[in-house]
Amino acid sequence: MTWWLSAIVLFGLLTGLFLLGLAAAFAFFGINIVGAWVYLGKEAGLIQLIRNGIVSITSFSLTPIPFFILMGEVLFHTGVAMKAIDAIDRLIWRVPGRLSVVAVVAGTVFSAISGSTIATTALLGSLLLPQMLARGYHPNMAMGPIMAIGGVDMLIPPSALTVLLGSLAGISISQLLIAGIVPGALLSVMFIAWIVLRAKMNPALAPAFAHEDLPLWDRWRPLIVYVLPLVLIFVVVVLAMTAGWATPTEAAAIGAVATVVVSWIYRALTWSNLMKALLGTAAISGIILFIIIGATTFAQILTFSGATNGMVEAIKQGGFAPWPVLIAMMAVLLLLGCFIDQVSMMLICLPFFMPLVALYGFDPVWFGVLFLMCMQLGLLTPPFGMLLFTMKSVAPREIEMRQVWHAVTPYVVMGVVALAAVMLFPPLATWLPKLMFK
Amino acid sequence: MRVYQALLQAFAWASAVLVGAMALAVTFDVVARNLGWANTGWVVEVSEYSLPVATLLIAPWLLHRNQHVRLDVLIDSLPRRLALLLERCANLLGMAICAVFVWFGSLLIIDSARLGSMVVKTLSIPEWWQYLLVPVCFFLLAVEFARRLRA
Repeated sequence: MTWWLSAIVLFGLLTGLFLLGLAAAFAFFGINIVGAWVYLGKEAGLIQLIRNGIVSITSFSLTPIPFFILMGEVLFHTGVAMKAIDAIDRLIWRVPGRLSVVAVVAGTVFSAISGSTIATTALLGSLLLPQMLARGYHPNMAMGPIMAIGGVDMLIPPSALTVLLGSLAGISISQLLIAGIVPGALLSVMFIAWIVLRAKMNPALAPAFAHEDLPLWDRWRPLIVYVLPLVLIFVVVVLAMTAGWATPTEAAAIGAVATVVVSWIYRALTWSNLMKALLGTAAISGIILFIIIGATTFAQILTFSGATNGMVEAIKQGGFAPWPVLIAMMAVLLLLGCFIDQVSMMLICLPFFMPLVALYGFDPVWFGVLFLMCMQLGLLTPPFGMLLFTMKSVAPREIEMRQVWHAVTPYVVMGVVALAAVMLFPPLATWLPKLMFK
Repeated sequence: MRVYQALLQAFAWASAVLVGAMALAVTFDVVARNLGWANTGWVVEVSEYSLPVATLLIAPWLLHRNQHVRLDVLIDSLPRRLALLLERCANLLGMAICAVFVWFGSLLIIDSARLGSMVVKTLSIPEWWQYLLVPVCFFLLAVEFARRLRA
């Protein structure tokens, strides 16, 4: 079979299984069974398939995933996260579109201690959305920022998906985690600027309301009590990694234990909510890792079938300049992001992309950040962006999916602008890790 | 039926407890190493082995609760009868896929045990231990797909 025929058959079957509504992990399992039988040698191939699947997640570089998720889950289930958001809410006043700005700032802070984008969106959505709608905010003004900042969570460490990308693509996990900070912050600032601008131009979108006048200390106290310790955890986790005291796994474990301890100090920890957080963590990491069991062998089968080499060779022969190739890769990611989940995206694309990155000599950390930014957009792009559904599930019933799509559109545009900015000015991604890992 | 659900639930809780224990063990390991208490290189390895165990344990419970990521929006937009038909196909395929994993997972264990393969790192363990849960969990997954077919 020629390489392109193999590629068409394998991807065609995979698409078919996805469309049938089979869960992503099982779709990969199915393709792998066929592929292992054909390319890896019948029974022996199938045995190898299972061995590879298990060995692929027996990996110390993947263990930060549950720990980073645990940090967010603990803060969410113990209610400490809500106190932190409340503290930020007290500090921001006399800003047009105040509650939307609060959502972005609180989302950014929460991103810095949560490794799960869905937790962030669900938390802000269930907490701030009813308040905004009750205050007469336009649904676009209310839902857009919450979804957008949920996506940014992926860029700001700790981030489970960043760990996964680093591990699968062979990019330094610590450097990639740090590299996401500047682009993440850039996006937050853009979002705030947009909200303020919109609210200034059309105050009816976000009616101002009287904010209680508090003494200075009452305004700042919750920040010191509830937000500062969380920011400290973030700083310790990041420092431990960058200073070489601990591997990402160890830093993540310490961070997770620290959030449990902090919640206990706040007297917010109970057995029941700790167990809920652990179960939630096991569930989210189980979903991610189960897809990986299914999909690692997929990359091997693509290689054996000649599809990977064929495609890479064809691009080499074509003598394309680096820019069109890079832009084409981003376009593929953005397109896939509209339809499939982030983990599947990585597993499908990386076998093709990483050889090209090596061929063209792109900086892997820079490329990793661009990859992350595309995936972050994939969380937000219709029809299947995951955060759109998360939002729909926490929004009041009368809000239609169409409205959710409409609300997120300006933030998708800003995301594309930021992506272009990082493409044109690589230091936006590479400066901070270079500085910290001299 | 009640026993079955209790089993899925128990596996899920085991997975949750395992994740918590890993976080504690790795943290303890860092502290112990930096204070020069002990050489606990095995902690790293045990947490590595725990990752697939935790994943496999919770997989059937996730399927039972329909939490595995899937593209259901297309199915939802189809006429009901067609959607039901496709759903049945998906469940049938899912069951077949899991059956293959149960069968070849068992073969893998038998093969590896017969050859006496060992994984030698800081700890030495028989290789087949790693795969013990594969047939068990995929059997439960197959049962879950079958249950959906009947529903």
